[in-house]
Formats: sequence, structure tokens, C-alpha cells
Amino acid sequence: MQPTPEVVLAVVFLPFLAAAFTPAVYRLLGERTAYFAATVALVTLGLVTDQYLAGAHGTVAFDWIPSLGVSLAFHVDGLALLIAFLASGVGVLILTYSGGYMHGEPGQAKYYATLLAFMGSMLGVALAGDLIALFVFWELTSLSSFILIGHYTGEKSSQYAARKSMLITVSGGLFMLVGFLLLVWASGQTTAIEGTTYSIQLLVEHADVLRAELSSAGLLVPVLVLIGLGAATKSAQVPFHVWLPNAMEAPTPVSAFLHSATMVKAGVYLVGRFRPLFLPKEAAVLGDWTLIFAVLGLLTMTVAAMLAVSATDIKELLAYSTASHLGLIIAAFGFANSYGAEAGAFHILNHASFKAALFMVAGIIAHEAGTRNIDRLGGLRKHLPITAVIAVVASLSMAGFPPFNGFYSKELLFEASYHAAEHMGGIAWAFPVVAVFGSVFTFLYSIKFASLFFGDEPDGLGHVHRPPVAMLVPPAILGALVLAISADPNLFIEGLVGQVYGSVVPGEAHSFSVHFPTKLTPYVIMSIITIVVGAAAFPFYDRIHDAINAALRGPVRANWWYDNFVEGLTTTSVAVTPKIQTGLLRTYATWGLFGFVALALGGYAAAGVPMPNIEGLSVSIPIVLVLLVALVGAFAVDVAPSHVAGVLTLSIVGFMVAIFYILADAPDLALTQLVVETLVLVIFLLVLDRLPAFYGDAPDRLVFIRDGLLSFAVGGTVFLTVLFSTNADPDGSLKEFFIHHAGVPAEHGTFFADFGGGSNIVNVILVDFRGFDTMGEISVVVMASLAILTLIRMRGQGETQ
Amino acid sequence: MSGSSGRTTVISRTVARIVVPIILVTAIALLFRGHNLPGGGFIGAVLAAAAFALVYVIFGLDFIQREILDIAPDGSEQHRLVENYRWMASLGLAIAVASSLAPLAFDAPFLTQGVLFLEHVPIYGELEVASAFAFDLGVFFAVVGGLLTIVAEVGNE
Repeated sequence: MQPTPEVVLAVVFLPFLAAAFTPAVYRLLGERTAYFAATVALVTLGLVTDQYLAGAHGTVAFDWIPSLGVSLAFHVDGLALLIAFLASGVGVLILTYSGGYMHGEPGQAKYYATLLAFMGSMLGVALAGDLIALFVFWELTSLSSFILIGHYTGEKSSQYAARKSMLITVSGGLFMLVGFLLLVWASGQTTAIEGTTYSIQLLVEHADVLRAELSSAGLLVPVLVLIGLGAATKSAQVPFHVWLPNAMEAPTPVSAFLHSATMVKAGVYLVGRFRPLFLPKEAAVLGDWTLIFAVLGLLTMTVAAMLAVSATDIKELLAYSTASHLGLIIAAFGFANSYGAEAGAFHILNHASFKAALFMVAGIIAHEAGTRNIDRLGGLRKHLPITAVIAVVASLSMAGFPPFNGFYSKELLFEASYHAAEHMGGIAWAFPVVAVFGSVFTFLYSIKFASLFFGDEPDGLGHVHRPPVAMLVPPAILGALVLAISADPNLFIEGLVGQVYGSVVPGEAHSFSVHFPTKLTPYVIMSIITIVVGAAAFPFYDRIHDAINAALRGPVRANWWYDNFVEGLTTTSVAVTPKIQTGLLRTYATWGLFGFVALALGGYAAAGVPMPNIEGLSVSIPIVLVLLVALVGAFAVDVAPSHVAGVLTLSIVGFMVAIFYILADAPDLALTQLVVETLVLVIFLLVLDRLPAFYGDAPDRLVFIRDGLLSFAVGGTVFLTVLFSTNADPDGSLKEFFIHHAGVPAEHGTFFADFGGGSNIVNVILVDFRGFDTMGEISVVVMASLAILTLIRMRGQGETQ
Repeated sequence: MSGSSGRTTVISRTVARIVVPIILVTAIALLFRGHNLPGGGFIGAVLAAAAFALVYVIFGLDFIQREILDIAPDGSEQHRLVENYRWMASLGLAIAVASSLAPLAFDAPFLTQGVLFLEHVPIYGELEVASAFAFDLGVFFAVVGGLLTIVAEVGNE
């Protein structure tokens, strides 16, 4: 069934609408705004469910920028529905949880408004069927993430974290945009698609021709890398993972929502969305796609898992673990076999279920125990019994422990990597080895997290409160979801994940199913190795933790690169600015004019403008005389002994030009030139009153020569420009049009006619045909006068250095 | 320049008294006839601004404020007149924008100009009223206001 356009629109824009009203609602409801926001999310969830139950599949498009072929298109399919379910479903839970967590916190109106706006953006990303729409919603999620990470605006660390995430994710998005535009360009090159298209579905339909077109232009790998950069920055893949741990400065519900369940999934979503476009059905085992994404994903999975072991803060641990699991999904999508797609599709759901629950558990711990430091936590089971159950279930799922749901998706990844290695042999055996190696660390930190609830209480731990119900129910629901998926994974696969699988593989796709292993397959052995090695290494957790921390020094850390890069940019800018901005007007004028000359002449040379033909140019004697006088005036300016004399002689040139206009039959121009010249003269004289009467000392010879040369260059450039621009001979139709349409129509017709109704064509052009230009010009006049006003008045009171 | 009234001659002051009104009338004439003959809002505006500039040069800045508009100097250095000029510039922009938006109400595109012919008008016979004149009027006020702001403010220094 086609999706219902109204419902799809409502899904995306209802949260935005609610966000706009949130400040007003906050005045009415105060802290209970959380439940208003949760209700909105619930309605959205209901709408998504409605489309899901109706079996919606297809694209609905609304005109947006028709002249560019950009539309506000929404595409509903399995992948879109899964992400939409996560955004709205987890949204309901998180907003409810916020009601308890944010009690007494500052800036709540902003907090809920931004969370709702984020939810809308995320739903937009999930449902976008158009590249530009996808990009816009994509950057909107980055923006709302920026605001939410910097929620505690006064904290230095929040500011640092917000800036960092913004710099990394937004710039990654820009790379992605370049990739998109290259795709659009390629769509214009093929004959299979009419014109160019921004529609993702149309691009995917013509995947083969597009790939051929990109390969022949040598752009296939660049496009992959550009889109990969977008995905990698958003999903915190190595080496761009650095922003995610800092993002934990945000309130914990935000971390659970944006930085585990949804926003970071956008990168994964992107990889899944473009997988059928770049990965043909009979792809090579180690094609470009696999080389980029499987390697990126496995690298991230392993490195981030090791970093999670090195973490000392529970939210930091979870942050690195998130990066690691996103790496797993991207690696899975990277493999060119069906197991990879199955693993990725299934793990999106599994990861969201256990990780969001774990984040909320971390929030409860931080809220009730007052610390997030791993060393200072332990034995929480006695104080937080329900939380402990949730944490254990979710941690075991995260560890990939059978029979929890995380086990099934990890098993599929092992299967994918094993098959890839089996087909390729040689170096490809590194895939399963790295996958197992990374999983060992995953196992280690998962067990460490669960162990916070067992053992003895450390001495420093004070009294631990019971969490409010609003904070306990949402993670419990997610914990129950983990158990439900674990109990009957095939139910969820048939219901939704199978369709997701269909979205990420090219062509017709079947659904799939998973089974608890009963035979000793190679992948089961991989799982066993992971668990056994992990369990054996767990007693040495602290040593591994210290060893990794010891190794993380200097350039090994991606943070080192980020900090030095940003620091370097800042210091370079500070160092360069005084050299460029000297504060001397003549420096600016020199460089500005030089730039103008170089650009104009360079442009002419590059375009190969031919020298115009000036033969047969006849000039009447009066015009020659007038121009000669102007020439004399121009020389007189140069030798004028004082400013006043200079200005007066300069006006000779202006008035001569006015007379030239009269002689050349341009009365309007002549009139304008005359009055403007007069006015300029007056203004000059007013200004001169304040200037020294005579020029200062003669500048030194070098400056003199430089200025002279520059003057000649500018004069020459203007001369050439006039020659070139008047050389173009527009065909007569333009002139005819003006002559015919400027005047009064022969028959007096309707009020609005195609005629200007004036016999002065110049003025009709100004106020009618090119009225928009005139509007801009008068705005500039007013702006210029305001600028002068500001400059002069503020001079005495502005910042003084 | 504000003290320049003491430095100008009787001849220049007398000439200015006669010439300034003529210039202003010419400026307005240029504005009105611009649609059919050389002229137009911009030229008229610059000319009008030149007339005011002449008054400034000959009589000094305070003259208009004190003698013509009867605004008592409030002792501040800022000329209150400049505020009026700014209002004039804004008014001009507003007229121009409003006149260009008006066609939208009649389902015509932004900035469409129309011509209305009034028949049997006394004295004139047939009179042509172009909506472009409203736009030109906006141009006139915006430019006069903008230029006078500059002149007054620069001259004030």
C-alpha cells in the first residue's frame, strides 16, 4: 500500500509543531511538560504504527524547489520504519524518563523543545526520500544535538563538548552533501534517468548505470569516501569517535536518546540506505564497498571496545561501547553477503533496545548514587534491585551472551565475516579474527558494567536512593523488550527486521530467520572463543584497563589530533589576523584593487576573450574636445598641490563626462551624472574641512612607483572591461522588446498589461522591467547611509583596543 | 562646517535663497515627468539632496533645524534632523515595497506595474496614471533620506 501523505507529513512535522509550542506549554505545566512531550511522541509512535500496520511501502512527494527538481519526498520502507519506530518509541520512554531525571534542572523549556525538534529531525532523516531533504534533516539532528550537549551552558566542558560534536558531525555532513551532489551529477549523465534526480529511490533503481557512470568518471571511490565520511562522523567511527564520549556532558536522557538509540544511528542508516546503490547483487567479496565499510566498522568495533575497557566513567564506557556497536553494524553492512545485511538490520534493533536501557540505568546510578566513577561504585544490587535486573539483562545482551538478542546479531556478523574470509582466503581471514578480538573486549566491559551491581560496596559510596517511578518504568520496558526479542527473535524478524533487510539489499529480497545453534559451526566456535577468552581475562580487567590507558599517549589518541588541530587553527588565525587586518586603509585599498585587477584580467585570459574590433569608430569633434578637457583635468588632479584643488579638478573630469553623455544622446545619464557630481563635490568639500590642507611628505620612491603602477593597472583593467563588455552585441530582439513594451499600449486594455506605459524607456526599465534591481539599489543606499551613521556615531564609543 | 554661516558672503546667501526653491521644484518636476521624459525618482532625489546640501554649505547645519523646522536645539550633539531623514528613508523603502507587493493582491506577480487611463479629466483631458509612479516615489524618498543622512552626518563632523 502507498503511505498516506497526510500521516507521513504529520509524523515528521508534529514534533516540530509541538516544539514550537513547548515554551508556552512550559509556562502552563511547568515540569509536567515532560508528559506533554511524551504524549506528542506517543501520538507520533501511533502514526508510525498506523503506517506499519497498513503495510505502507512507497514514496510520497511534495513540491519543494521544483525548479531544481528538489522535492520534499518521504519514502516508507522497512529501514525507514525501523528508525522511525526507534525515534518515536524510544522518544516516548526518554521523555517520560526526563520527567524524573530533569526534576529541578535549569532550562527545561529549551530542553523539551529541542528534544522534540530532534525527534522530528530524526524522523525526517528516517523517512527522507530525497537527497536534499535527507541532508537538511541530517544537519538538523546535528544542530539539536549541539544544543542538547551544551545544555549546561555555563560549563566549560559542555561548551567544549558541544563545539566538538558540532564541528565533527556538521563538517562530515558537508562532505556527505558533496557526495550527494556527485551522485546527482552522475544521474544527469546517464540516459536511463531523465534529467537529474535527487530522489534516492530513483537512484537506487538505476544503481547499475549510476555505478558504471561513476566508475568511468573515476568518481566511484570518491563518492563512497565522501558519503562514508558523513556516516563515520555521525556514527562516531574511528577516528571520528572522539566527540561521542565528550557528548556525555549532556543530561543522561539525551545520551540515551541521541547518542545511543537514534542520532548516531543516522550514519548507520545512511550506510544501509546506500548499500543497495553501491553493492550490486553479484559483488566481489572484497569490492570497494567492503574495503571501506567492513574495514572501517571492524576497526571501530575493536578500537572503541578497547577504549571502553579503558574508561573510568560509566557513561564514558557506554559511549565507547556505542561507537563499538555502531562499528559492528557498519561492518556488517560492509560485507557483501546476505549475512552481513541480516546482522546489520537486526543489530540496529538489538543495540537500541539494550543500549538505551543501559544509559537509563547509568542515569539512575548517577542520579541516586551521586557518582559515575566505576572505581567508586559496587554492590548496588541491594539498593537498586529492579535496576540491577535490567542492567544484567541488557549487559548480557550487549556482551553477545546466549540466548540474549545481542548474541543472534553478533552470530550473524561472525557468519558474515567467516563467509567473506572463506570466499576470499588470504588476508580476508583478518575479518573473523578481528571480529572475535573486538568481541572479547565487548564481553569484558559488558560484564564490568553488570558487576557494578555485585560485590562489596566501596567505602566512599553514600546512601543510594530509590529512583522515582518515571525513571524506572522506561528502562524496564526496554529490558522487557530485550527479553521479548531474545525469547522469540523470529517474531521480530518477520514483523520488521526482515523488511529492513529488504531495504538494504539490491533487488528482490527474502526475509530470514535465526535459530539457536544446535551444531558446532565455525561461527559458534567463534562465539565460544569470545566468551571463554573474555571470562578468562575478566579477573585481569584492571590490568588491561591500566595497560590500555598507559598506551594512550600523545599521537595515539585521536583526541590529540583534534585538540591540536583546533588549537592550531585558533593560534594561526590569531597570528595571521593582525598581518591582514593592519588597520591601514591604504593597505586594504592596495590589496583590494590588486585583487580586482588580477581577477578581472585573469578571468579574461582564462575565458580567452577576443580583442574587440574598434575599426570604423567615428567620433565627432565636439566629443573629442570634451574628452581632451577631461584628460587635462585628470592630469591636473595628479599635480594638484592641495586636497581642495584636487577635488575641484577631479570634478572637471566628472562634468566633462556629463557633457559627453549629452553629446552622445543620453539625457538621463547626463542629468544623473551632473547632479551626482555636484553632490559628491559638496560631500568632498564637507569632508575636506577635517583633513589637512596639504598632502603629507612625499611617499618614498618605492611606494610611489607601486601606487603608480597599480593606478595604471586599474585604469587599464577598467578600460579593457568597458571594451569587452560593450563589444558584445545583443541581438536586436532585446532592444525591440523594450521599444515595443515600454510605451503606452495602442489599445487601452486592462490595468495590468505587458506594457510599461511610459515613453522614457530608461525610466520604465528602472521602475518596471528591472524594478527588482532598483529595489535592491535603494535598499543599498539606505543601508549605506545607516552604515555611515553608525560608523561616525559609534567611533567614539566602540571597543577601543 | 556648522559655523560656516559667518564665512559665507551676502551674495551666496542671497543666491541660495532664490535658487534653492527653484532646485526643489525642478527636482519634483523631474520626479513627476520621469515616466515620459528624462528624469525619474533617482535623479529628482539626488537633485533635492543637492538643494539641501547647498543650504547646509551656505547657512550651516543648524539653520534648517532652527529656522525652518523650528526644532529647538536640545543641546545634544546629535542632530535630531538626522532622525527625520532616517524616517524618510524608511518611509521610501516602505512605499517601494508596499507598491511592489500590492499586485500580489490582484494575482499578479511581485513588482508588476500597471497603467490606468483616466478619461475626461478637466484641464488634462486624458490622464495616464502609472502604478510605477508609486514605486518611483519610494525611490525618491529612500534616496533623499539616505543621502541627507550622509550629508548631515558627515557635515556635522
